[in-house]
Amino acid sequence: MLYFSLASKAYARNLHYRGAHMLHNVASALFGYLYACIWIGIGHDRPLGEYGVHGMIGYIAFTQASLWVTGFITNGLGIPEAVRTGQISLDLMRPVHLFVLCMCREWGQIAYQFIYKSLPIYLLYMVLFRLSLPTHWTTLLYTFVALAASAYMSICMNYIIGATSLWTTESNWLFWVNHALMNLLAGFFIPVEWLPSWLQTVSWMSPYPYLLYVPTRIYLGYEQAGSLLGSLAWCIFFTLLCLLVTIVVRRKVEVQGG
Amino acid sequence: MKNTLPMIEVSGLHKQFRTPVVKEGRFAGIRTLFTREYRMKEAVKDISFSIQKGDFVGYIGPNGAGKSTTIKMLTGILHPSSGEVKINGINPHKHRRQVAKRLGVVFGQRSQLWWDLPVKDSYDILAHMYKVAPDEKEKRQGEMGELLDLKEFWLTPVRKLSLGQRMRADIAASMLHDPDVLFLDEPTIGLDVTAKRSIRGFLKKLNSEFGKTILLTTHDMDDIEQLCERVMVINHGQLSYEGTIENLRDKIGLPTLIRVTFHGTYQLPAPQDQCLPVELGLDAERTFQIVDAGSHEVHIEANRQQVKAMDILRMVSGWGEVADIHMEEPDFEDVIHRVY
Amino acid sequence: MTIKYWLDLYAVLIRSSIRSRMQYKFNFILGTVLAATIQIAEFLMISIVLNKFGAVKGWSLYEVGYLFAVMTLAKTLYRTFASDVHHLERYLTTGELDQLLTRPVPILLALMSQNIRLMPGELLQGGAILYWSMHGMISSGQITWLALPYTLFVIVTGGVILFSIGLATATVGFWITRINELQTLTEDAAQTAVRYPLVLYPAWLRSLLLIVIPVGFVGYVPSLFILRGEYGSWLVYGIALLAVICLVISLRFWKFGLTRYQSTGS
Repeated sequence: MLYFSLASKAYARNLHYRGAHMLHNVASALFGYLYACIWIGIGHDRPLGEYGVHGMIGYIAFTQASLWVTGFITNGLGIPEAVRTGQISLDLMRPVHLFVLCMCREWGQIAYQFIYKSLPIYLLYMVLFRLSLPTHWTTLLYTFVALAASAYMSICMNYIIGATSLWTTESNWLFWVNHALMNLLAGFFIPVEWLPSWLQTVSWMSPYPYLLYVPTRIYLGYEQAGSLLGSLAWCIFFTLLCLLVTIVVRRKVEVQGG
Repeated sequence: MKNTLPMIEVSGLHKQFRTPVVKEGRFAGIRTLFTREYRMKEAVKDISFSIQKGDFVGYIGPNGAGKSTTIKMLTGILHPSSGEVKINGINPHKHRRQVAKRLGVVFGQRSQLWWDLPVKDSYDILAHMYKVAPDEKEKRQGEMGELLDLKEFWLTPVRKLSLGQRMRADIAASMLHDPDVLFLDEPTIGLDVTAKRSIRGFLKKLNSEFGKTILLTTHDMDDIEQLCERVMVINHGQLSYEGTIENLRDKIGLPTLIRVTFHGTYQLPAPQDQCLPVELGLDAERTFQIVDAGSHEVHIEANRQQVKAMDILRMVSGWGEVADIHMEEPDFEDVIHRVY
Repeated sequence: MTIKYWLDLYAVLIRSSIRSRMQYKFNFILGTVLAATIQIAEFLMISIVLNKFGAVKGWSLYEVGYLFAVMTLAKTLYRTFASDVHHLERYLTTGELDQLLTRPVPILLALMSQNIRLMPGELLQGGAILYWSMHGMISSGQITWLALPYTLFVIVTGGVILFSIGLATATVGFWITRINELQTLTEDAAQTAVRYPLVLYPAWLRSLLLIVIPVGFVGYVPSLFILRGEYGSWLVYGIALLAVICLVISLRFWKFGLTRYQSTGS
């Protein structure tokens, strides 16, 4: 099947760079370690809400490992690059919907990152910080669904970011802004409930909490399967938005010839 | 104009590359990071030549023959494994910056201009870098602008130029500091006929009017034929020919095709008394051959180095009343193909 | 190579860089605003936490803000003038370095003059946080105005240290070509770590950030004297000496790496 082979090609391409990626994992793990150290420092002589110091370490460990599934998506799904080289017109000519084409490639990438980055990094943290797995298998299942949904949302967001490169050469910045907002609003470093109340409101009006905060809370057992409904709603919304964006992109390319 | 001091002198040039051996299997990536296994590849083997001031020399060879490697050694980019290069008497590997000041280098595949800046700004930066005085820069910029028609895209960022425009801008940029020697690596690659013609015209002028010494590598044999007095052919890292184009043609000895049209009928001599080659004391097989004979037309292949055109004419007119004669010189590309 | 020659060249580069960005005003403003947003979001992250929980291991919010600002400004300095040192990988994989080797100036300077990256967003954010944190500490009497010249001096030495680390990392590229991953470790992770007081980290990580990758000397170590009066002013000069030593070592390493340059095959 075409969609599967697109994804598996993207997966296989990455295998060549496993060595370099392992080095990258060390750096990524170090980032999480730094954040954990900061929380240990803060929690030195005061309790850290319902989490406690050990709970916060588990929280940071999980979000850091999940970043490779929900955060580190190819910049604009590679669309800015395609626009620069003119490849975009070719991609639009193919008998596959542009969104589906980009998405399938990205799923392969995400699958690779899950296996070669998220898992080893989390395993390292499990040993280092003596973390334990959830006791019930349904928790793992719900977490997996929540992560898959957040990966999908991230793909959609990057698709839209990529599409803006047809209008501005600075679409790179949007990628980084998205990244920064995610750090702040998705509960990457600070759980959402500790944000100032105005920022909490902003956060819950955005899809960001569903990218990291909700999956992490489900994993840690603070949240039930019910919160997956929120993820679902955002997924549907983003799907419709992406289809709309594709129509606009198509018109733009047809008018301008790439 | 020409004096005896060679502008470029190369002796016994060698270059070996180490390429890491790619490993297969589990953790291959990590293992290549830590262990070193190399294969040696000899890209250039014992090349020597010299080029006089004011020469226009073509440097040709198939892909991967070592052309670019040689050029990179001449310009000081790569250090030779052994051998020596001298540009105007100075070694570019010991005094790279000093030599660079007197060199202009153009790579057809990539630009030396600043991608996001207008052409004019790139020239400003280059002028500063090469310490070209402002009035001198204005003068040369005007000259080049005129010759290469740069005015129309003077303020356009380089990334928005067409390939032909970019090439013109690039060549003009390499002339800004008035170098003695110009190295051009495939300057006409990917260009259309008009753009090629304009670049060739300009290069010719640089050589004949401004007296620049030029070394050109290209895959376009028309470039070579129209521009170069001399060619050097490199193959498998070694020079396989060096000399003028005419000599190269003669050495390969591809036959000239002669088409003779007769008024009315004609009479071919019987094979056994094909008198001419015998008369001239030559081997008939190699020098002269009737390849096709129609009702009014005969096609003859002859090696012009051994048979004079006049002799052939004299012989042919004996066969009947000649209406027209057409001679086709061997295609240069075919000649080169033979050398490779 | 006189100093004036380089100042002139840089002046031309900065002028053309500004002019080319200004051609697309919308893009320029958008880029600046977005860059500032990113920086502010990053600082919000830590300031929210410190605001909620108070000081961390004896370091006040102002002091952490100071570390953050010095790091941002030193990095801005490094990345503005040596933008393409950080991007050497691209020059190695595409063979663009060949082009630079034909220029009549040292390769490193040719590389640095390829690109001047204006970073108004970072400058704005770093300046604002520095102003806010120093203002807070001056009003509370923790430091005096004298801290300002020291701070500016430390930003410059910090820029030199970051440049040396960046250059040494880039030089490894002459052997392994792909250096992005290594840069994440020696530049991104290390720089992020020292935005916070080093006391937060276990001893092994502290010594790593002071000895192996000396980023700790950019903001943390000088702040011990500037903010807390520990050790003495000799500390700042010692750091300047260290910066020069780092620079010399990495320049040597770079020179050695260049001799290993193979270009892109034939």
